[in-house]
Amino acid sequence: MTITERPPFDPEVQAVLDELAKSPQPPLTRETLPREGSDRMFPDNDSVIAGRAIDWEDRVIPGPAGGPDIEITIFRPRGREDETLPGFVNIHGGGMIVGHRSWETARVVDIVDQHRVVAVNVEYRLAPEDPFPAGVEDCYAAFVWTHENAASLGIDPERIVVGGGSAGGGLTAAVALMARDRRGPAMAGQLLLCPMIDNTNTTVSSFQYDGIGTWQREMNLLAWSCVLGDDLAFSVDAPAYAAASRAADVSGLPPAYIEVGEAEAFRDEDTEYALRIWATGGQAELHVWGGGAHGFDMYMPDAEITRAALAARASWLRRTWGAGR
Amino acid sequence: MTAPVPYDPELVPGLEAFLDLVEIIPLRADTILANRAHFATVIPPIDVQAEGRPVTWENRTVPGPVGAPDVEITVVRPQRPASVPAPAVLSIHGGGMVLGTRFFGTGELIDLAERHGVIGVAVEYRLAPEHPGPAQAEDCYAALEWMAAHAEELGIDTERIIASGMSAGGGLSAAVALMARDRSGPRLAGQLLGCPMLDDRNETVSSRQYDGFGAWDRNNNDTAWTAIAGAGRFRDDLSPYVAPARAQDLSGLAPAFIEVGAAETFRDEAVDYALRIWATGGQAELHVWAGGYHGFTGFSPDADVSRAANAARESWLRRVLRLGG
Repeated sequence: MTITERPPFDPEVQAVLDELAKSPQPPLTRETLPREGSDRMFPDNDSVIAGRAIDWEDRVIPGPAGGPDIEITIFRPRGREDETLPGFVNIHGGGMIVGHRSWETARVVDIVDQHRVVAVNVEYRLAPEDPFPAGVEDCYAAFVWTHENAASLGIDPERIVVGGGSAGGGLTAAVALMARDRRGPAMAGQLLLCPMIDNTNTTVSSFQYDGIGTWQREMNLLAWSCVLGDDLAFSVDAPAYAAASRAADVSGLPPAYIEVGEAEAFRDEDTEYALRIWATGGQAELHVWGGGAHGFDMYMPDAEITRAALAARASWLRRTWGAGR
Repeated sequence: MTAPVPYDPELVPGLEAFLDLVEIIPLRADTILANRAHFATVIPPIDVQAEGRPVTWENRTVPGPVGAPDVEITVVRPQRPASVPAPAVLSIHGGGMVLGTRFFGTGELIDLAERHGVIGVAVEYRLAPEHPGPAQAEDCYAALEWMAAHAEELGIDTERIIASGMSAGGGLSAAVALMARDRSGPRLAGQLLGCPMLDDRNETVSSRQYDGFGAWDRNNNDTAWTAIAGAGRFRDDLSPYVAPARAQDLSGLAPAFIEVGAAETFRDEAVDYALRIWATGGQAELHVWAGGYHGFTGFSPDADVSRAANAARESWLRRVLRLGG
């Protein structure tokens, strides 16, 4: 089923999509998922920081029980070493099948710069080499480590926000569920940017953006197959820590910020997740930006909707990190 | 009943002020008139609202719907229009369709004229229960038709007219957009639905979460819908011009901006309206603000979440009215 009636892209979004279409990329397949050189595709940390007063450090921390160690990068405002600051744990996107934490250094550094927080950017294992639950357990381990090492990191353990875009948003939602279920560390908020949470691919929007836009239906089907294997890939029996939409209970979670484009596959699953959280009495803020493609803030940084979305996001981060101070 | 979504602590003083000032008398069938009298004391007259502001205003009487009385309007003009001709806003006031006057909405028009050079028309529509629905929407639509027909005289760009309102005014803006589509009437560039009152059924989760407390709680809403819809309430054939959520078809409508608090009665019906518009391929930008009570931006204007909500709304206005800057 393809649905041809769909909310159009914002004109500024469409213009960038048109540019991207001029240099078509080969379709993503299980055999051609990029690995080698993923960590060198984007500018290095110093280039991204570009003279801003931010220090960074690569560390290796223990992984989940039985798993390998985890690489992280820590970013900290320079000159604030004696202060206890809020914390931000970033989980990168890429469908859980591609990507590297360095792809999102720019987003992380901007947040550190704007909000004066200490950030931990997490490397986690990718599918299909490491299917569920390897990646999400890595992310959970990094969150727990950040909390346990808050004092030495200069982080206030009561003010740690976990966040990410796309797969990173889905993994963040899963880490929030795990922290609740395992009586793990307190999470001050979950920043879910166009989160990938529903493996069934059955919503209206998942059909509306088939073959169009940035993260297309085919890519999403491939990603869930790699993460969950063929039997569970699109099943309602998939575990909630893989696909947060499968959680039977979404009560008792940290405040959520859910942002998504109106013109993308994840629109309906993300809206539905917010509705379910509210129905339990949980706190969630939902923004569906008109004509936004998946990841519009990354692909279309100069669009009016990106400026507006970043402003709304910054407001929520201020409110969340400021709470209880 | 499930626990309600909690309020943003920064909004609580404004909520208490709203309840003390506006909702001091619970709205019940036998207190509608008392509430109306009280409302009249709460709304400052237009000359007070406009004092010292770079706007002019004028009261006019324009033809009402066929077979119905004339309609009073107030035209608010900027000293410096955004352009010639200028974009325009039809402002439809709130008050549950049973309370209030057009001067409840003129404050917004004065702000828009000052900040963006927008021409405004505030419409005095007949109230229920003396005038059951859809008298309200018909009066508003008559005002829209008059604006479009007199665009040249008013200096209005007919390609840039939106309908806008909060609460009942949001619901009536949605109704006017439905009428404009169904009757091939004036082209609307957008519909701004602020915490809109859309659904007579009062049966969503959020409508049950705010029962007996909060701004415009379940009981006030129940009173108003019975006054508006009478024996037609809860019937599947209730006109969508009375309760837009009853529309079978939400395709082909003007682009919508839907904003609502996460902690209020109308949250779920507003989100559902957006979901249904998207499913048809229509445009709706949706913002659900964490911990927001009904109309929070008005009574808590300095809270971070209110500032963010105002900024998001302004961004949409810039896009749909092509305001530039």
